[in-house]
Amino acid sequence: MTGRSDRIAGAAALVGALAIALEARGFSVDFLTDPLGPKALPLFAAGLLAAGGLLTLLRPEQEPHWPDAGGRTRAVIAGASFLLYAWLLFPLGFFLATALEGAVLARLFGGRIVQCVVAGLAISVLLFALFGWALGLALPVGSLMSGLTC
Amino acid sequence: MDALGSLLDGFRVALLPLNLALAFGGVVVGTIVGMLPGIGPINAIAVLIPITFAVRMAPESALILLAGIYYGSQYGNSISTILINVPGTASSVPTAFDGYAMTRAGRASTALATAAIASFVGGTLSIFGLVLLAPLLARWAIRFGPAEYFALMVFAFAALSGLAGTAPRKAVASTGLGLLLAAVGLDPFSSVSRYTFGQIKLLDGMDFVVVTIGLFAVSEVLQMLETAGGGAAVAGVGRVMHNVRETLVVGWSMLRGSVIGFLVGVLPGAGGTIASFLAYTSEQRLVDREGTFGKGDIRGLAAPEAANNAAATGAMIPLLTLGIPGSGTTAVLLGALLGLNVKPGPLLIERNPEVFWGLAASMYVGNLLLLILNLPLVGLFAAVLKLPRWSLFPGVAALSFVAVYAVNGSALDLVLMTGFGVLGYAMRKLGFPLAPLILGLVLGPLAETNLRRSLALSGGDWSVLFSSPIAMGLWVLAAASVVGPVVLGSKVRRAFEAS
Repeated sequence: MTGRSDRIAGAAALVGALAIALEARGFSVDFLTDPLGPKALPLFAAGLLAAGGLLTLLRPEQEPHWPDAGGRTRAVIAGASFLLYAWLLFPLGFFLATALEGAVLARLFGGRIVQCVVAGLAISVLLFALFGWALGLALPVGSLMSGLTC
Repeated sequence: MDALGSLLDGFRVALLPLNLALAFGGVVVGTIVGMLPGIGPINAIAVLIPITFAVRMAPESALILLAGIYYGSQYGNSISTILINVPGTASSVPTAFDGYAMTRAGRASTALATAAIASFVGGTLSIFGLVLLAPLLARWAIRFGPAEYFALMVFAFAALSGLAGTAPRKAVASTGLGLLLAAVGLDPFSSVSRYTFGQIKLLDGMDFVVVTIGLFAVSEVLQMLETAGGGAAVAGVGRVMHNVRETLVVGWSMLRGSVIGFLVGVLPGAGGTIASFLAYTSEQRLVDREGTFGKGDIRGLAAPEAANNAAATGAMIPLLTLGIPGSGTTAVLLGALLGLNVKPGPLLIERNPEVFWGLAASMYVGNLLLLILNLPLVGLFAAVLKLPRWSLFPGVAALSFVAVYAVNGSALDLVLMTGFGVLGYAMRKLGFPLAPLILGLVLGPLAETNLRRSLALSGGDWSVLFSSPIAMGLWVLAAASVVGPVVLGSKVRRAFEAS
């Protein structure tokens, strides 16, 4: 069906705008700080989102070229690995988490096993050297690792 | 000429071996930190300030070093934007539109060289502006009250309609989404928390870096996963030097970008961002007849790059002559000035001529150094793209993680970044433009604050928004930039059909 994606996106924008506007009703202040108040910006934004969403719903464009099943699987795995990285960053520490994530992504981008290990380690070492040592950014050491060494 | 004589004195200061070395060191450090998203010049400057105090550096020498980092980072920023679609600041987002498109088309070297030349043109032209017009422009900038700022924001949004592309309804939705993200956090006027859902980390609002890196870099990685297999990331990297005709065409784009960038950059606030977006949209309207903007048009890269750097220099005017910093980085520079016992203000040029003229001259030298440094290195930077896909894109993703982590050191930001990555991927697929979202996010708070402030001052009387000639002029410009293209477009079409 042509324009199905646009119809879904438009409907999502409409529903989202409605939820935003409903939430904004709760932004009340006990005393008047300024004539406009905190509701104006969210309500205006919700109005724009609703208008744009409604028009997209009514006048959808051609269906975009979505990836095939393989591409979809790779993208979903990648997205899940990003979330997993956020979850494991503090327990594993920057170095290990980044090396693992780098290797997983390298695999998704068609690297062979050896290449993935090399890419993961190289990325992790480079970024650690650049941000951790040279720029003095406090990258997480990893609660599991420090437990092992102590 | 008085100014020219003083500038010559300035060059005498700037060309002292120590100051020359400091300018060189500053621009090199600036380029490197500019290339790393999430770090930014503000950190490098903040780290170096106590050192300049400790070694009892002369004020002009310290300022030459710190300012070198400031404008050097503008060069570095465009490198990561062009090569891997990671804009570290809002003002380099327009660079991504055509700069990264050129990289995708196998013309990365040409893009990097153009960016370096455009940055040089914008940077040096605005130094002349700084030297000749500083006191005059300072008086102009100080007349901008909240009502004028609000009108300027409206103008910026109106000019943005040029970026709407084929489906204006989608641009409207994107703008709404950006303004909504701008509303997240603690309301500065009433201390009401908006859309934080109990997350303390959201009280400060959506961080720009998290949103941009998600929308641009992460969504790019997801999009790249659509095609399977290894191989090189891009077909080729192109030539460094382009032919004479191309340079001439781009020359005008650079000039126009420089003028817009300088004039807008003088205004404290979101100067650099408005400048580069305005330069991009006005350039698109002026010269984009074949609809090549956003698909790797070299003019769409040159104009915002020149504007970006011109604005960075323009921002020195309110800083030096009024003591008003226009951005986080210039605020840190202001701190450095005060610490060095240099009081910015209308009398700075008289009282500390060696600081003002020395700095102006050293910015000229520094920009020249950046050009000399950057052009030969273009090949080296572009070599990054010759890496196979399985090492380049995981590297881009990991760099995005560190950049986002560097902002607040929070894992929640990484989750948000992933969410924005998926959102950006869907928006790009469906043709919702990303630029209005970014502009809404960056300008939303400024527009809201200035509107509410002016209404609070007038006691709720909306006519205050139209009460000054500057504000009226901006409203007229805003109206013209929405209505103008529609009217002109139909006239041109009719003329075509008649012939």
